[in-house]
Amino acid sequence: MAITQRMSARPAAGRVVSRPALDPPRSRRSVRGAASRGVAGLVFVLAALFPLAWMAIAGFKAKTEVVRTPFQFFPEVWLWENYAQILDDPAFVRTMLVTFGGAVLFATLSLTVNSMGAYVFARLEFAFKRTLWALVITTMFIPGMAILLTSFIVVTKLRMLDTLAVLVLPAAASAAHVFFLRQFYLGIPLALEEAALIDGASRWQIYRYIFLPMSKPVFVVVGMTSFLAFWNSYVWPIMTITSPDLYQVQQYLATFRSERSTELGLLMAGSTLAALPVIILFLFFQRYIIGGIRISGLK
Amino acid sequence: MTVITGRGRRAPGAGVRRQDNRLAYLMLAPLVILLGIFVIWPLIYAGYLSFFNWSFYQASEFVGWRNFSNVLTDRQFVESILRGLRFALMVVPSILVIAFLFASLVKTMGRRAATLLKVSIYIPTVISGVIASIIFVLIYDYSGGIANWVVGWFGIEAQAWIGDVRLALPAIAVPAIWMGLGISALIMLAGLLDIPESYYEAAELEGANWFQRTWYITLPLMKNIFLYLLIAGFTLAIQQFELPLIMTDGGPLDSTLLPNLFIFNHFRDDLFVGYSIAAALLLFLVLGSISALIFKALNSEKAVDG
Repeated sequence: MAITQRMSARPAAGRVVSRPALDPPRSRRSVRGAASRGVAGLVFVLAALFPLAWMAIAGFKAKTEVVRTPFQFFPEVWLWENYAQILDDPAFVRTMLVTFGGAVLFATLSLTVNSMGAYVFARLEFAFKRTLWALVITTMFIPGMAILLTSFIVVTKLRMLDTLAVLVLPAAASAAHVFFLRQFYLGIPLALEEAALIDGASRWQIYRYIFLPMSKPVFVVVGMTSFLAFWNSYVWPIMTITSPDLYQVQQYLATFRSERSTELGLLMAGSTLAALPVIILFLFFQRYIIGGIRISGLK
Repeated sequence: MTVITGRGRRAPGAGVRRQDNRLAYLMLAPLVILLGIFVIWPLIYAGYLSFFNWSFYQASEFVGWRNFSNVLTDRQFVESILRGLRFALMVVPSILVIAFLFASLVKTMGRRAATLLKVSIYIPTVISGVIASIIFVLIYDYSGGIANWVVGWFGIEAQAWIGDVRLALPAIAVPAIWMGLGISALIMLAGLLDIPESYYEAAELEGANWFQRTWYITLPLMKNIFLYLLIAGFTLAIQQFELPLIMTDGGPLDSTLLPNLFIFNHFRDDLFVGYSIAAALLLFLVLGSISALIFKALNSEKAVDG
């Protein structure tokens, strides 16, 4: 592995292309180092992506071919039938659409609720501010299981079972998101809003016309987190949803797996399609998300 | 408590820092109401119900500490907690080591290769536990799965993986590592890039090799990041229950019955919920105290200044 080779020759990011005369001629060792780094990198990429690639390709296999000895990565014959058949299943299409709509609604609602809260704690002064802040932050440390069971009892008593509300409302308010958004808002220079305040803008207008437009990068990260949490959630839907109209996609897949356990090609095709929206969304926004991982406060 | 004065150093914009009770409460209302109904009330309610024999169908009866003593004397519960600890010991150190290797590798790469690696390692993070379970159950398939094909190269006979009492827990740890690696790796990388390059250059001039530089510069400066990842990873791992729920349903012979799955199964099957709720609250306590212990152990000597 690349461990023994020297690391200081690392080019600064962006300066990779041309660095002629100044560098000493590459020794055989550093060429070997680069090659072994490349191999190591490839191992990481393969380990991360292999299971997903295998799933997507298994979607093109006949049902007896998905698990077989000896192992074969590609199908004997590429079949489109699994993908066509699952996309033709109204129950699958509906569960995808319902979950997608729910996730968009959930992300929008939680961004609204949490960003207003974050703004208020970042900028406004009001009675009991510290008490309320302490209360909100405390909820961040409550593990899910401690309240999962009683949350179920609460939504049952509120007659919310089997409604869209039970999927969207309970997790919409999130102290972690409020905390994250507030950090962002605290970093916005005061000068911006002081000018507006002198011109007679209200605190609400400052939120609406100064803070919200500046929130795009942080909203992408937080909104994506909410979307993912909704799309991937399984336990809460199986506890609260029984009506086929509101079936969530993970619930559908798990049910499919236990009830039609032999139709593996179809299961793989369905799982691939269910993974696709979040992968596409992530790839689309990866710059924000990967760039958004900061370590402030950890040092 | 009045806050009218605001902060002295911004005196000029007189009136800028006045109280805005009405707007503040209006904008906070949705947050506080939702947290109140769906987080705070359920927590208080859990504390209350843990002292009762409560069910959806019958009048409840106060039973004092009986639910708690029942849980604590239940060997299955205690074993599930120990199993959760073992599971976390498989998952978290693996993630830390792999993430560190990954971050060290990415640091030496050009921008394009680094982006490719970062995006790839993060993709499994967005995959659901259900899909990961579906994939890995088939990978572990006895007669035609990839796992047995791979061990076959080394002349090892086919294993039942998730059907084997000895192997089932490590077998579900693998998808947990696969899904959990991305975030830790990127946080680790951010920490690594934060260390000034001049430290390494100075060390190199003194003739320090890679191991020495890692041991005397990188690791001490990343201590807080390791600490954070350790505690966060630990609390996440011990709470894992989608993977065992879908892949094995706790079996074979309870070998993958992690604490949350134990609680969830009881809630599903019991007529009275007090027992499961008491177990959940006790787990909460165990989790909190172990995190505190880790924190204390690692923070016992003062962190080196970065």
